[in-house]
Amino acid sequence: MKTPDIFYVEDDIDYAFFMQSAVQEVKDTLNLTIVEDGSEALLKLQHFVDSKIKPKLILLDLNLPGLSGLDLLKFIRDIPYLKSIPVILFSTSDNPEDVKAAVEFGANAYLTKPSGYDNLVKCVHSVHDFWFNQHLRLN
Amino acid sequence: MNKFSVDLTNCDKEPIHIPGKIQSHGFLIAVDKQNLAINYISENAGDFLNEQPKNLLNKPLAAVNAYIRQQDPEFNIEDLLKLGIIRNNFDAISPHPVELDGNPFYLIISASINDWLLEFEPVTLQFDIQSSIGRSASAMLQGKSVSALLSGAALEVKKLISYDRIMIYKFLDDGHGEVVAEEKEAALEPFFGLHYPASDIPKQARELYKLNLTRLIADVNQPDAPIITFKENEPLDLTNGGLRAVSPIHIQYLKNMGVQSSFSISLISHGELWGLIACHNYSPKFIDYKAREGSKLIGQILSSALEYRQDEEEAEIVELFKDTANVLSEHLSRDKYLIEAITGHKRTILNATTASGVAIIFENELKTIGDVPADEDIRELAEWLKQTTDESIYYTHRLSEIYTPAKKYKKIASGMLSCTLNKELGEMIIWFKPELITTVNWAGNPEKPVTPDENGLLSLSPRKSFEIWSQVVNNTSEKWRSEEISSVLRIREIIITDINKKANEIRLLNEKLQAAYEELDTFSYTVSHDLRTPLTSIKTYTELLLKNKSIDENGKKMLDRILHGANKMNFLIKEILNLARVGRSDINFETVDMPLLLKEIESEVWNAFKADKTELFLGQLPNIKGDRTMIAQVFTNLIGNAVKYSSTVKKPRIEISGHVDGEEIIYAIKDNGIGIDNRYYDRVFELFKRMDNVKEIEGTGVGLAIVKRVVERHNGRVWFDSKLNVGSTFYVAFKNR
Repeated sequence: MKTPDIFYVEDDIDYAFFMQSAVQEVKDTLNLTIVEDGSEALLKLQHFVDSKIKPKLILLDLNLPGLSGLDLLKFIRDIPYLKSIPVILFSTSDNPEDVKAAVEFGANAYLTKPSGYDNLVKCVHSVHDFWFNQHLRLN
Repeated sequence: MNKFSVDLTNCDKEPIHIPGKIQSHGFLIAVDKQNLAINYISENAGDFLNEQPKNLLNKPLAAVNAYIRQQDPEFNIEDLLKLGIIRNNFDAISPHPVELDGNPFYLIISASINDWLLEFEPVTLQFDIQSSIGRSASAMLQGKSVSALLSGAALEVKKLISYDRIMIYKFLDDGHGEVVAEEKEAALEPFFGLHYPASDIPKQARELYKLNLTRLIADVNQPDAPIITFKENEPLDLTNGGLRAVSPIHIQYLKNMGVQSSFSISLISHGELWGLIACHNYSPKFIDYKAREGSKLIGQILSSALEYRQDEEEAEIVELFKDTANVLSEHLSRDKYLIEAITGHKRTILNATTASGVAIIFENELKTIGDVPADEDIRELAEWLKQTTDESIYYTHRLSEIYTPAKKYKKIASGMLSCTLNKELGEMIIWFKPELITTVNWAGNPEKPVTPDENGLLSLSPRKSFEIWSQVVNNTSEKWRSEEISSVLRIREIIITDINKKANEIRLLNEKLQAAYEELDTFSYTVSHDLRTPLTSIKTYTELLLKNKSIDENGKKMLDRILHGANKMNFLIKEILNLARVGRSDINFETVDMPLLLKEIESEVWNAFKADKTELFLGQLPNIKGDRTMIAQVFTNLIGNAVKYSSTVKKPRIEISGHVDGEEIIYAIKDNGIGIDNRYYDRVFELFKRMDNVKEIEGTGVGLAIVKRVVERHNGRVWFDSKLNVGSTFYVAFKNR
């Protein structure tokens, strides 16, 4: 299996669709893997560990049925193999409490879901520029 | 002996129980209680005994035996007296029939202070009166009501003593009397309904009437017989005697009326002198002792029947009042509104008393039943009562004398009984009674019993004229009975309990409402929040579709409209979220730097509305204490509105300034825009309300609702002045803490 550039957990299939679309628009070679809920995400994360595959960036929706984005973040930070992967929490909420919690759990960033497609594209663009170009440079 | 000189100025002080003389149709001997020696004897005893009376003074009583003829030769007057003394009662031996000089007499024994009174009077009745007294009593008692009882008594007494006129005379509260029943010879002028002044029967006479229940004046023209004694300084007390001579004033009084004989029987109710059966005869007429005793019995039976019937009638009234209280209590528990409950049914608050009208002032409403003054007069009276009295109950039967404005409606409201429900709010119930006696027909002028003589001295001159003298008794209603007062107190208790109960219900309702309101806030917050996600989807798909090259121009136009609608909806949702947030979040008080805040808002608003041509003038900008985010919302909305609604005028101009006014800091935001129609003044701050003249301008109708809520949560005020097509000024006042 090909190493995903971005691993995205999102229960809202519409938003997942937009993200897919936006990522493609920013760079059509970027590889995006999306799962719909926490338990599926856990399986996938375990699979990453087992097969020694490391995504370059993880995006977590905050509000997920079952395990939340924060739960997943905690899980990731507890596994030595995964703990170094940059994680961005992605949510419609702009509640400062949520932001605070995310940072405390070790998120690298907290992004409020932009409204409208054009804004999403802009957002993905800046995320890509920051995390991938810099990442490459760092590498 | 009795040196008291009586005239009308002092007749209430005349010692009438020790007149020193007796009426001369009989004679009197008084013997010492210690040794039974004759201490006093009436001068006319000689006419009956053929002996100089003074010869008998100081003699033992037994000396009298010599003059008395008795069927029983062993009769001894001393033994008879001793028998009574041992029994401690002379009822069984009085009257004792004796014969003096061939004529039948009764000997009647009674007690004085230090002496026994032995009175002899002629026997005139030939038949036994006992059976007719029984018949009279039962006939009289057939009267079911008090008035029927009284008429019956007058009739029966007339049958017993055959006097020309029998009146039943009732004493009223102030001591004056009224003739309440009358039985008379047809030719006589009626006295029924006449009132007699209190001075006609002086106080000490009333006291005597309570002790000795009958009083006969056999002949006003017959000279009295003096009592002779060696005890010059110890006048004989004749309180219990039957022969007692009466005051010369009273004799003159009777003579003036043409009365020659007078007889009266006391009526006692609850230990007090209720009235008299007053009997007049226009020729001299002695009444036999047994007929007098019969009349006395009728009087006693009438007294107890009166007591009973009056109590019964009172009890009926009390029962009715209690029943009214129960009925009203039921209505109150069933009906939603107090006024409706106590006035809207067959039994009303009016039945709590015997008043003829009632007014209820409650929750600023005035409701009346029956005869009451005009509404504005009642309001005025209520205001006066509120200021005048601290009592929960206040009543008078002469309202216009203590409250002059009541003069103009004294006919319907001379009597007034008010009961306060809530003093602060001036809530009360007022009952009214009409002016009751407009005219009292006095038997003679009560104001002028004494006339000065030529020298200006007051002289003995009892009233000669007994023509009716009518006096207008003004401003007075029937008195409020104690039963009415307690009835009102009872009903007040019921009403106040009910008000408290309902207030409690309202409080609970208010709490529920508060909870529902908070729930609604949560609801609108959640709903708005949840609506954003699908809305975002719609918006985003539309944007994606617009990028699709295969869609033609028409399709793109439609997608543009969808996008426009979605944006508008998104804005509305955001506003509702803001509004809900004001209700949900806690206020974080801090000092808000107003010049800085307004600068931020200015750039935000001018950008948003592209209001380059709008001029802004800033005055004094004092800082405000409050929640910065919320206060920013207030000013953003108000300034935004000012810009928005003045954008259509040529030179839009907005002025903002604040000043400290006592405990408040007041900001004014003034524009020269399209203004607000005054008709909508109250609706401007309502949620989703937009005025007719702003249809063309974008807006949600949420902004001012947010302003109002924020201001209210800060315990401030918000209001505005506006004129159509001239401009509006909105004011917000925050507490200057």
